[in-house]
Amino acid sequence: MIISVASGKGGTGKTTVAVCLALAAEYCQFIDYDVEAPNADIFLKPEIKNIKKVTIKQPYFLTGTGMDFSKCAQFCHYNALAVIGSEVIFYPELCHGCGGCILVGPEGAVREKDVDVGEVAKGFTGPGIDFLKGNLTPGSMRTTTVQGELEKMLNKKELVIIDSPPGNSCSMVMSVKNSDYCILVTEPTPYGFNDLVISMEVLDGLKIDYGVIINRDGIGDSSVEDYCRDKNIKLLIKIPNSIEIAKCYSKGGTLVDYDMSYKVKFQNILKEIENLVF
Amino acid sequence: MKQITIISGKGGTGKTTIASSFIKMAHDHMAVDADVDAANLHILLNPLVEKKEDFIGGAVAVVNEDCINCGKCEELCRFDAISNSTMDIKIDSLKCEGCGVCEYICPVSAIELKKDKQGEFYTSNTDFCKLIHARLNPGAENSGLLVTRVRNTAEDIAYAQNKKLIIIDGAPGIGCPVIASLNGVDYALIVTEPTLSGISDFKKIYDVAKFFNIKTFVCINKYDINLNNTAEIERFCTLKNIEVIGKVSYDENVPKYLAQKKFIIDNLDSPAAGDIKKLWEKFEETLYS
Amino acid sequence: MKLCITSTGTSLDSNVDQRFGRCPYFIMYDSDSDTFESIENASREAMGGAGIQAGQLIASKNAGAVITGNFGPNAFRVLQAAKIKMYSGVSGTVREAIEKYKNGQLTETSAPDVGSHYGMGRSS
Repeated sequence: MIISVASGKGGTGKTTVAVCLALAAEYCQFIDYDVEAPNADIFLKPEIKNIKKVTIKQPYFLTGTGMDFSKCAQFCHYNALAVIGSEVIFYPELCHGCGGCILVGPEGAVREKDVDVGEVAKGFTGPGIDFLKGNLTPGSMRTTTVQGELEKMLNKKELVIIDSPPGNSCSMVMSVKNSDYCILVTEPTPYGFNDLVISMEVLDGLKIDYGVIINRDGIGDSSVEDYCRDKNIKLLIKIPNSIEIAKCYSKGGTLVDYDMSYKVKFQNILKEIENLVF
Repeated sequence: MKQITIISGKGGTGKTTIASSFIKMAHDHMAVDADVDAANLHILLNPLVEKKEDFIGGAVAVVNEDCINCGKCEELCRFDAISNSTMDIKIDSLKCEGCGVCEYICPVSAIELKKDKQGEFYTSNTDFCKLIHARLNPGAENSGLLVTRVRNTAEDIAYAQNKKLIIIDGAPGIGCPVIASLNGVDYALIVTEPTLSGISDFKKIYDVAKFFNIKTFVCINKYDINLNNTAEIERFCTLKNIEVIGKVSYDENVPKYLAQKKFIIDNLDSPAAGDIKKLWEKFEETLYS
Repeated sequence: MKLCITSTGTSLDSNVDQRFGRCPYFIMYDSDSDTFESIENASREAMGGAGIQAGQLIASKNAGAVITGNFGPNAFRVLQAAKIKMYSGVSGTVREAIEKYKNGQLTETSAPDVGSHYGMGRSS
């Protein structure tokens, strides 16, 4: 079973929830799909066993040959190339590594080399959490490329818990699309509510079943809860707003560190989800 | 005319709280909500939409029935977007990056790059200034492109109406929409929080701002929930020569006021309100110096 | 000689647009025939590389000089490679800018005006 944890709004508590789920399950694969700002390792503290670079192929141009590269510049859909006379100006941050310039350019005069865009790391947290995370190199835009590497390592035979990045666009979709169930974490405010509704639209479009967790309960009102009840959406748990939880979190502590009873609470949530899915 | 983008790396540190406060206190300015897939400023600012425009996203490849199933497109696609598993070429529009290689290589011209409406953007009026904001269709890609549209629209108006400042509320993360919101701005204000997660993401977003050579300031929000971590952030900033222009106290009133769609700076008893006002004053000093 | 001016609109009474890569139009003024045409800037909505593409477009139109408010580092590099003269810090109408140019009142720009830019500093 693959469970993803997502949220349109940032900072609602996705990682807090995903980590608690993994600690409750004890044996699972945990994948931190938030490759731009991965944080789960701060809380799960895995022993990292292996780090692999993620690369794309980018071109370089043999300009000394006096060949004409203007077709390459005309072809590039990302404006990564300017050709002025015999000079080629290449902008690596804009290049997606599609290989188009090699196809349209003068034969043999456009070559490729591997360029780092990030890395993926594999680790382990006792008793049985296989930990995976991705990390995008600052300045690169290849978020989905790094996420794609994580996807290749997803182990369907285990229980998989996925920590998604915030938002409702491609990097969130990449994270949730393989899941059997998605937990949407929100805060009980108009902002949380606004973004929650959009996330639900995304999941409806992907035909993925979902439930809601309200975090920082008490800072707003009951609109989210009322909405879930009216629309028959499962509200899995409400976690109260508490400065003590915030302080514990600030030091890298988990919900279970704050209050051991959360382990059982989340074990019950896992059972509930299993029943809903199967 | 100057532009400042408010970013954080980590979500939930208080970008919108700070951005909306700045918007209320500034003069001769405009606002941009660059968090296009989870826009929040409009909830607080209550904009009156003047103009609505369609956002046509980046192109994706579409295959038609002329396809002879030769598989050349699948061979060359670098993004795993093309599959031939059911004896039929299928292009996954989520994975397709619109590079045009398959369109180029197809021997029977059965593939075409097509653009679609992927959202909308709005030019609106609020009580404080014009707001340019957007709504990306759920699950759509090209959020970076929409941010660019929204920013171009704001700049056109700002130059035409001689505005002094554009305040841009950025998205969380460090990817395309964030980069699009930083392109060519004069200042970046990183709003961070004294948590281990916050610090980790702060360093990443700082690297991005540095990569694009943008003058960067830092504000530590909820600083008193962990004074040790706050000190660590300050040490890092000293080391890297980044100015910390404000520290905002943890204040239960902040989320409560925001939830009631009120501005925290209107709460005269709130310690956070005073801190945010001081933060704005510090930034204004730089702006007009 | 072909003179390119970044413009907010399609006429000579439009204002000089302050941005090179992101302006909505380019006015191509031919000083020999005293005629002009306006070209839409198709690259202005690109996420990155707008300045690069604009630079290439101007080069392909055989412009001898460009007038604008600010050049970013990408545009600067491309125009420099194309040996096109650059004049920045210009405001007012397009017509006024052309007059200033003809009267020799404009000073050539020797460096990019804007520092922070997507794509800069990593070219190979």
